[in-house]
Amino acid sequence: MLRLLASKRSLLSQGTKILPRFYHEKVIDHFNNPRNVGSFDKNDPAVGTGLVGAPACGDVMKLQIKVDDTTGEILDACFKTFGCGSAIASSSVATEWVKGKQMEEVLTIKNTEIAKHLSLPPVKLHCSMLAEDAIKAAVKDYQTKRAKSSGDSETEPVEQAAKV
Amino acid sequence: MASKLQLCVRRLSTLRKHCCFPSSSSSSFLVRSRSLLIQPSRTINHHSSIHSPPLSRTFYSSPLLNINSTDTEGPAAIDYRSLLQEGEFHSLADSTIHDLQEKLEEYGDTVQIDGFDIDYGNEVLTLKLGDLGTYVLNKQSPNRQLWLSSPVSGPSRFDWDQNAQAWVYRRTKANLLKVLESEMGQLFGEPIKLA
Repeated sequence: MLRLLASKRSLLSQGTKILPRFYHEKVIDHFNNPRNVGSFDKNDPAVGTGLVGAPACGDVMKLQIKVDDTTGEILDACFKTFGCGSAIASSSVATEWVKGKQMEEVLTIKNTEIAKHLSLPPVKLHCSMLAEDAIKAAVKDYQTKRAKSSGDSETEPVEQAAKV
Repeated sequence: MASKLQLCVRRLSTLRKHCCFPSSSSSSFLVRSRSLLIQPSRTINHHSSIHSPPLSRTFYSSPLLNINSTDTEGPAAIDYRSLLQEGEFHSLADSTIHDLQEKLEEYGDTVQIDGFDIDYGNEVLTLKLGDLGTYVLNKQSPNRQLWLSSPVSGPSRFDWDQNAQAWVYRRTKANLLKVLESEMGQLFGEPIKLA
């Protein structure tokens, strides 16, 4: 179904002029052999989930990261994307690039780097921006979860002390 | 393949006509209270294309987040009642794009760039500057935004700011026309005015 959507989208994006516009082979590779498709349990405290985009706009990306609590290193990443070939490829590249990196480091990944790597045409640069946003949202979600859970664990001992 | 494309385009344009027609009558409601405006726009959503569900179904990482509207690094809440109505958005966006198209066509005659080409098709303005790159400016109706793809600054998304009466990219506070003026001024080698 994703393939059908992707091919319809490429038809529509060409407009009424039939111009020879091809997906770069790297995009095709990521589309046919996407890396890291899947889901983690979003309730897992070590998992950060970034969900960006809107079906109305045509692109929705969910990017999840599994982080090592002690070192802050991203152990694993996975994604699920609804959208065009470029969006799928951008999010697939994003999951490849975040693996094994520190959270602060992945926040510096720029959409221009993703776009350059995939040789995205001008109309598709927005897909790479969405992928960058997905990375940032996933990191932010993980940090929010950690802050919440560490906030809870701080109040617990206080309650115990009060009981005593 | 060409006929299939034309079918798709015709289908899209007839759907657009359906949703534009009620919105033009909604402009008369502007004189009355704001709450009346919300109802006509809901019916517009029912008429609009299969691919654009009602605004309430947009996905966010946490409630009411919109990645594109923020003045800090992270996403911020967006109040949909303050968004432009669809008819107003289309007329503002269309007039901005058409003005730009005319001004750029004038510059096209005087500026010395190999492969200078302006094209406006399917409500997308494409400006080719040969080896210097390509600009693409199009409407993103669900978000009420103008999306720009620039060979200099990459992608950016502009919202209409009522106070400034201009298209502004919230993350950088950049003004669409100023961005284009400064970037193209550099590329053309001469200052240009697009306002």
